[in-house]
Amino acid sequence: MPATTSDMTAPRPYALLAELTYRCPLHCPYCSNPTRARNNGELTTDEWRRVIGEAAALGILQIGFSGGEPLVRGDLADLVRAAREANLYTNLITSGISLDDDRVGALHDAGLDSVQLSFQSDETGLADEIAGARAHQRKLNVAAKIRAEGIPLSLNFVIHRRNIDRLPQVIELAETLEAERVELANVQFYGWAFLNRAVLLPTREQVVRAREIATAAKARLAGKIDIFYVLPDYYETRPKPCLNGWGQRYLTVNPTGDVLPCPTASSAIPDLRFENARGRALDWIWRESESFNRFRGTEWMPEPCRSCPQREIDFGGCRCQAALLTGNAANTDPVCEFSPNRAVVDEALRDTNSSSSYRPDWTYRINPNGIR
Amino acid sequence: MPIEIADAAQPRLAKGVRLQTDSASGTSVLLFPEGIVELNETAQEILARCDGRTLNEIVWALAEEYDSDVAALAADVRETLADLQKRRLIELT
Repeated sequence: MPATTSDMTAPRPYALLAELTYRCPLHCPYCSNPTRARNNGELTTDEWRRVIGEAAALGILQIGFSGGEPLVRGDLADLVRAAREANLYTNLITSGISLDDDRVGALHDAGLDSVQLSFQSDETGLADEIAGARAHQRKLNVAAKIRAEGIPLSLNFVIHRRNIDRLPQVIELAETLEAERVELANVQFYGWAFLNRAVLLPTREQVVRAREIATAAKARLAGKIDIFYVLPDYYETRPKPCLNGWGQRYLTVNPTGDVLPCPTASSAIPDLRFENARGRALDWIWRESESFNRFRGTEWMPEPCRSCPQREIDFGGCRCQAALLTGNAANTDPVCEFSPNRAVVDEALRDTNSSSSYRPDWTYRINPNGIR
Repeated sequence: MPIEIADAAQPRLAKGVRLQTDSASGTSVLLFPEGIVELNETAQEILARCDGRTLNEIVWALAEEYDSDVAALAADVRETLADLQKRRLIELT
């Protein structure tokens, strides 16, 4: 192992998010993908195989195949098989579009452990409006196919101002589809969602009600469906413990091979230089690279984080959020009540909660040009 | 009050849960969607025997192997399985 000037030993990572492509048949305005992606070609099947092997050697135990829509890649089953051969637990995070019987069977045969299927709402009209595509009925069919094949099923809902009032019906849908697990994730503002924040940010009244509904459903369905409720962090007074700390447990490889501490870092933190899996070994990037070490641990922290008793609980929140809202990724996440920049969050909340005119004119996500 | 697990209950890993050795640490782990649990030695020894055997059979197998007191062991096994069941990592049939 190379000697380092730092006395900090890199921790061991547990999970890899493999963003296979930014291409997607849906156009959800809440997507966290970058609004402008670098175009230097998607990793090939062999390049992904190498990344998967290097990730397993680093200690990774779980892989999530995501995107964009990972099913767009014709080699998905091959990559699932490669991950299983490397002893990884394999999750597919998908819109389900184009998942026919043959493909579900092929993925299961390849060793796929679990599917997380996204839904936009419980009813077709609103769901298709949000997706910007006729998707909902197909998703219902896909859920049934996954059940029939016997693959564990999670449903993922991103919650925002337009669908938050449907939470009871959304939970009913999860029961009907016999999902084992449901993520009710309040929208987080990165990528397209950041662009569409004024349209997506729910009102305080909506958030309070949603929390009650989610809490009640969690208790009622205990032992039957695991419900995970992701908090709307703008309405919190302490930041989320983003990634359980930068460069601590997770790494992401994006479609063109950039290796990132989190999927939104490359677009949210433009002044940080990220390494590419084509040119560097994953092990080196994880342990030695500037991007993974920049916010590792607590040394980098400014006040009020540096002397805060919570610093190893929330790790100063989210670096991407700090960058997007304050222009400096090293600042305290402005969601924190002690952040000198909390006013920027409060201003967004005030706009949402004081305005009587609400216009749902969002910008739909479009696919990046020419990325293949 | 926790529900007492019956002697004849057959614990098995829940659907979607995999038991595997973590080559980095050498310990056993449970893998499931978005989650990893590192097992202590007791849980590891119990889960290795959750292959269709009843709770009673598991207790006796462990008692024989480790030459330990059946009553104390039974309490340990029940407690461990109840905890895993609460987290939906095992199912009882």
